[in-house]
Amino acid sequence: MRHIEWRRLVIRNLIVVIMVAAAQVASAETRPQYGGVLHIAMRAAPASLDPADGLLDNAAPDSFGRRSLAMLMFDTLVTTDENGRVQASLATTWRVLPGSQHWQIQIRRGVTFHDGTPLTAEAVAASLHAANPSWNVSADGDSVTIEWDNSSPDLLQELALPRNAIARRTSGSNPSGTGPFHIVDWQPGKKLALAANEDCWRGRPFLDPIEIEMGKTFHDQITELELGNADLVEVAPDQAHRAQQKGRSLASSMPVELLALFFSRDAASPEEKVLRQALALSVERRSIRRVLLQGVGQPAASILPDWMSGYAFVFSTDADLPRARQALAQVHRVPTWTLAYDATNPLARLLAERISLNAKDAGLALQPTASTTADLRLMQVPLVSPDPWIALGNVAALAGLPIGKSQGTVEDLYSSELALLATQRVIPLFHLPVSYSAATTVKNWTLRADGTWTVADAWLENAKQ
Amino acid sequence: MTFRRKLLAVFALTVFLSVGAVAWLVLALTRNAFERSEDQRTAALVTQFQQEFARRGEDVARRVETIAASDPVNRMAAALNGSPSDSAEYFELAKSMAESHQLDFLEFLDEHGAIISSAEWPTKFGYADNTFESLSASSGQNAFLRREELQDSTALGLFAVRSNATSEHPVYVVGGRRLDNNFLSALELPADMRVQLYQNSSQHFSPDALLDPSAPSSRARPAEKLVPLIDSVLRRNQETTEVINWSSDEADEEVFHAIPLRGSGKGSPLLAILLVGNSRRSYVELKRRIRASAFLAGAGGIILAILFSSWAAARVTRPMEQLARAAQDVTAGHWDTNVEVHGKDEVAQLAESFNRMTAELLAQKERLLQTERVAAWRELARRLAHELKNPLFPLQLTVENLLRAREQGPEQFDEVFRESSTTLLAEISNLKTIIGRFSDFSKMPPPQLQPVQGNEIVRGVVKLFQPQLQAPGHVPITCKLELDEKLGTIAADPDLLHRALSNLVLNAMDAMPDGGILTLRTRRDNGKVMIEVGDTGTGMTREECERIFTPYYTSKQHGTGLGLAIVQSVVSDHGGRISVQSEPGRGTTFIIQLPDNLETFQKTPEQQRAGHAG
Repeated sequence: MRHIEWRRLVIRNLIVVIMVAAAQVASAETRPQYGGVLHIAMRAAPASLDPADGLLDNAAPDSFGRRSLAMLMFDTLVTTDENGRVQASLATTWRVLPGSQHWQIQIRRGVTFHDGTPLTAEAVAASLHAANPSWNVSADGDSVTIEWDNSSPDLLQELALPRNAIARRTSGSNPSGTGPFHIVDWQPGKKLALAANEDCWRGRPFLDPIEIEMGKTFHDQITELELGNADLVEVAPDQAHRAQQKGRSLASSMPVELLALFFSRDAASPEEKVLRQALALSVERRSIRRVLLQGVGQPAASILPDWMSGYAFVFSTDADLPRARQALAQVHRVPTWTLAYDATNPLARLLAERISLNAKDAGLALQPTASTTADLRLMQVPLVSPDPWIALGNVAALAGLPIGKSQGTVEDLYSSELALLATQRVIPLFHLPVSYSAATTVKNWTLRADGTWTVADAWLENAKQ
Repeated sequence: MTFRRKLLAVFALTVFLSVGAVAWLVLALTRNAFERSEDQRTAALVTQFQQEFARRGEDVARRVETIAASDPVNRMAAALNGSPSDSAEYFELAKSMAESHQLDFLEFLDEHGAIISSAEWPTKFGYADNTFESLSASSGQNAFLRREELQDSTALGLFAVRSNATSEHPVYVVGGRRLDNNFLSALELPADMRVQLYQNSSQHFSPDALLDPSAPSSRARPAEKLVPLIDSVLRRNQETTEVINWSSDEADEEVFHAIPLRGSGKGSPLLAILLVGNSRRSYVELKRRIRASAFLAGAGGIILAILFSSWAAARVTRPMEQLARAAQDVTAGHWDTNVEVHGKDEVAQLAESFNRMTAELLAQKERLLQTERVAAWRELARRLAHELKNPLFPLQLTVENLLRAREQGPEQFDEVFRESSTTLLAEISNLKTIIGRFSDFSKMPPPQLQPVQGNEIVRGVVKLFQPQLQAPGHVPITCKLELDEKLGTIAADPDLLHRALSNLVLNAMDAMPDGGILTLRTRRDNGKVMIEVGDTGTGMTREECERIFTPYYTSKQHGTGLGLAIVQSVVSDHGGRISVQSEPGRGTTFIIQLPDNLETFQKTPEQQRAGHAG
């Protein structure tokens, strides 16, 4: 199977979902209006607005909220459209030499940062180098050259990631971008106020201003939406069905999030490998999905979802308690593992408890804990890109594992994923969509293919000037 | 110990024992009262617990019944209709209904016992309740005690089971309220009482299983101390009472009544133990106060007893002491001693008797002296008569010879006259000698003390009698001198002492007509000078020894009986004393004990004279 074939498969799936979402979102569109304050609430509580700054942040740079936030203020060189095609953004054209090791990207002229500084190739090179210190980036006139030791055919997909958005970083102040909104007030981890960028190269946005409340639980966000204090909120997977039943405007992405158990270290002994295998076999994914996730998401035994890889159905997601018990019969001593979960997420606690109960049923001992240190951790990991190699590489990096290849056929992808699973550092559980609910007054907001939203072209109905 | 001290000790002991007995009695009564009160309070608290248990049980049953008949449960029962695969949307129903009906536990079970929704363990959906058989049997009955398994622990609660039978397939509603500190806090506890509940959830004691509403307060104690009591109840499966010592302070003791609480179902398992604690602090403090008061009263009583008994003993013993002193005076020779008589009690009668006794003794002494004086005069008269009769008879015969010779011839008369004159002169001389002896005895001079060497006087006496001891024609007497050369100087009249020793040597010689050994010995004993004169002669009987120093008494045919009297007089005038040791047939030893009287030399001559005159 060629590389392009599975990509087409992905894109075909995406089109269906995006069209449904877009149809929902745009169903009530009327004539655009300028002005109006848009209130957004989100769980993420970043301490920094730098799109590449994740090391010192309490929110991963690739979280949906964080990525959505970045794209309000910053632009990437290229973007991917709903069909997965690369579109020009700050880059106008690009050229790759044979071997995919040498990329030359032409920078758009006439673009300025929010602080008035013009966008230059040097600024772009500096931004990319700050986000990716290992990259060999150089400026040459109006173009930027990126050189690789190996072939890098997916560079454009990589450049489309929000973490590679172009920012002008000056010490002592917030990074400056070229996006449709600029920073007015920033209270790290709490609140962000943005105003419309009058000189945006893409045109002035309709909304002005945007106020974003951070660190809000799913429950608080829904409450804020119901009280009219928020216009756009995130919806927990287990609440999506209920929200829909209540008639709320809901937009859900394709399953772009992996819910999995991550072990903190490699298995120390053959017995521990058996224990991990027994744990993977003990989890009743279907009943969990049915009850705790209220039918949302897909049981998963693979890292990549089926719409992304096309082969996920090969991995069995059924619980097999007899086999788990049989495996445990070979183990002399069953240790008590601690299972960490996100204490701020009630669903995570329920999932951890149910997994522990399933494990106990098989003969394992799992102790759920809200502590940050544990033997294994229940994590919701965003699949940062529709590109399966990038998504797989990102998950592998989170698990602390290298991945042998970064490109290839679907067989190569399958082999790479199989190898990653064989390490038993990750036990995939579910692939979850991300869901958002917006007030009916919010028009033309968009849910992107990667699960992030954008309000660059949105407006508010009955907005006051 | 004096009589007064004995009396005082008896008084003090009496007071102490009395106070102690009263304190012990009060303590015993207090303990009994407290134990009765403790039993009553425990029984009241247990009754209150049972009433609260029943009341809450009714409340739980009512709430569960309400839930079972509620619309959401009706809808759920109708919707499921035996199909648990559709139960996902009721996942949170139990939790929300438990909150709205204020229940700690609430589970919906299908007809097979599978959990549809659980408030206490939400993620247990789909699992079967392993006690479903007994639960379904309890449907519609009163509330019961049950141990509920939770995610990572167990909890004890009051449960009730009701079923919803609106559809063909019933849904069981199992609801309950936790038996926790709130439940225990609802009990109205009397002062110094507390109640705890031990949840028998594991084989080994766990402090976490002990519900103690008083835990945050200062009365909280290490639960491990209760382990023996709890183990005892678990082992014997019956009510048990024990005293728990929380610390070394007795006031921290607590009497715990442990009552086993059983659940329903097979075997009525022992699910919990109700622990009713009664602090003994108030009792111990009261006991301490009583004891302190007793000690205080005892100490005060003893002090008062000492004071009072001192006064009383002094009052009682003063006449006795006076009597004792008077008796000592009488013993010392003061026969005219009298004691004062106060009152008319026994002691006064004793004093009067004592006074009469001393008066009688004095009178008898006077009579005795009079008698002795008369006897002495008679003895003197007898002696004088005896002594004078002997020379008078020759005088009479001589004079009668002279008269008869005058009638015969002149030649014969002259010759008789010469012979008679010689006889008369001899007899008259004899009479003069006898009279002189008596005169000498009556005129015994006072000793003129001066420093003398005792040994020299002894040697002088021996030298004087040496010729007679070895005189030819007599059986020789051996003289043996044992003189202490360290005897030193004594104050004595050398002439009188020489005379006294000479008399003793003469007596010794008279006692040894067949010869023997005369021993003269000097030594010092306890500062006194001892001079002994011993013989190996005929010896004397005890009666003779007792009378030997009586004047004019003699055991010899021709003695005047004044020799030893003179010796005793001399020794007595020197401040000494003489004694005799004798045994018939084995000899006699006279022992003279003299003070050295050396302080006399420090005195002036006037003082010496004054001293001798006195």
